[in-house]
Amino acid sequence: MVLVKPRRGASPGSCPTPETSPSSAPARDEVLALLRNGSGRRPRFDPGLAGGLRAWLEDAAGELVAARGEDAPPLFLGPRLLWTGSAAAADPQTTAGADTSSIELVLSCLVRALFRQVVTVGHVGDPLSDAMAALQVDPARAGMAAQIERMSDATRDALSAALDVHAANLLHLTPRFAPRWLPRTHDRVAIPLAGGRVVLGGVFDLLVGAPVPGMATLCALGLTTGGRWAQARTALHYLALLETLRSGTPPFRVALLHSAIGRYGVEDVLEEHLRAVVSHVVAQLAGLAGDGPAPAAALLGGGDWDDRSRISA
Amino acid sequence: MIAVGSVPDPSPPRLLTQQLLGPLISPADDHGASVREAAARLPHALADLAVPRVGSGSFRLTDHHVRTALARSDAVAAATPFAWSARTARRALGLATVRALVAGEAASPLEGARIAIAQAVHSAGLGQGPFSAMDRWLAGLPPAGLAVVHADVVTWATRLWCAVDWSAFVEPPLIGRDRWWDSPHSSLLALRSRAEVRTFVSDPAGRHYSAHLVVLGGPRRSTIRAELSVVALVEALLAPPLVPPGRILGWWPESGHLVKVEVDASVLAAGEAAIARTLAAVEAPATPGQEVARAAA
Repeated sequence: MVLVKPRRGASPGSCPTPETSPSSAPARDEVLALLRNGSGRRPRFDPGLAGGLRAWLEDAAGELVAARGEDAPPLFLGPRLLWTGSAAAADPQTTAGADTSSIELVLSCLVRALFRQVVTVGHVGDPLSDAMAALQVDPARAGMAAQIERMSDATRDALSAALDVHAANLLHLTPRFAPRWLPRTHDRVAIPLAGGRVVLGGVFDLLVGAPVPGMATLCALGLTTGGRWAQARTALHYLALLETLRSGTPPFRVALLHSAIGRYGVEDVLEEHLRAVVSHVVAQLAGLAGDGPAPAAALLGGGDWDDRSRISA
Repeated sequence: MIAVGSVPDPSPPRLLTQQLLGPLISPADDHGASVREAAARLPHALADLAVPRVGSGSFRLTDHHVRTALARSDAVAAATPFAWSARTARRALGLATVRALVAGEAASPLEGARIAIAQAVHSAGLGQGPFSAMDRWLAGLPPAGLAVVHADVVTWATRLWCAVDWSAFVEPPLIGRDRWWDSPHSSLLALRSRAEVRTFVSDPAGRHYSAHLVVLGGPRRSTIRAELSVVALVEALLAPPLVPPGRILGWWPESGHLVKVEVDASVLAAGEAAIARTLAAVEAPATPGQEVARAAA
């Protein structure tokens, strides 16, 4: 069963229509209902699924390592590079240490900080002030915080106004999970292949549920702040694959929230999704190894990875 | 035997617990005796290693020093001054959260983390009794800053809480007490053993050993067994005679991978070699700020 509920203009942050006015029930209730619907019949996945997918990826990674040489440094790949090959894309992990960031990246980081706040404490004060306070407890974002401080009043006002829209949509869309659902944000997954010479990485914006061996019990929520819907959905499937490789089973359901326009979708994770993602990743690895279409040059830089994760806990 | 090997498959919760608590695969004789013999020799050998660098000041070595020294030069990022952050605070607060969960004092990681943070802020706010630099830092944060710390702690604690079958422990495990060994022969040298969960296991003959779960970060690396051997070495130096270390289990939450080291004399030798290499690599004593960073790592 696939439950996809695209909604346009159904949030306080977008132009209200008579049937989607802000006075209507928050969309978060519907997101939660869709995540819960049928959750008592959680699917069991083939115990061999994860092993099979891993073997498929290991073969491709092995060929890539053979092409790059055993002594080459590890290659870190994330969804942005695997699908667009663009290290400059608006991925919050991309340019953590850069002196300046694009406005899209700044906005993405600020919105994600607010998302974590909404999930954890359930409310937001002044969006820009709160998001800035969040940046300031992360030394890796000090440059971005300073960049925002240096903005002209007009730019900063525009950023603040945009953030207000995102915050309103987040509050409208994000379910309030009971603590027993174990909601946790920014859950990083890193799957080493070929003995760690190739690493597939990604970050769940939000995971809920406790992992149970052999049973799909997790739900994952992804957030997109302005990118293409289809690409964000594929990235969520990619994260589902990583979870399958990490724990043996994928999340049984995923939700995607678009904080710019208030759109959302919920769907079950199917084996087809995982196989499609693996097929794509294998093709990318083959391209890097020289056996397929020429990869984007940026891929070789391994840039969409948080450098901090390479060396420390 | 050092090379039990990494467990190739992802680790559902039961598997991690089985790997931590399962019976030791030991030789027929008491391999704890060989560990004890090696541990008796080690204090002198370690003091000798520290002597050549007597002019450099004291060495309080942590897993951070060992990891950095053993890593390939291109895999090590430039050192940055320590600052308290959500990232550096999450382990201490996360351990407090898991302790509260295991003790039944909190019903969820969300609640446990909130209590841990509130207690830290309260301690620093009162200015009375013991409070740490981290507590003081937390007390100065605005609510939105605390929310990020809260979120990071919840994620860290939920991973550990979900990964272990806590009902499988016969005795309540010790959660997150780092231990220091101070050389009795050289005031210059101290070694830290960091483990998130400590418990006991038995061998087929019924002899008891300590077992330690170490939460790992960063990528998988070829030096990980040497790093875990240092934990084994420090535990051997600190262990009561009847309960030597038997097992060190490393776990990467990000990938679910496990690395298990069953402790014997060869493991302690590997740990000694890693300490020697670390001391050789450490050019200057750590600054107080770096020490705080490593304590939080």
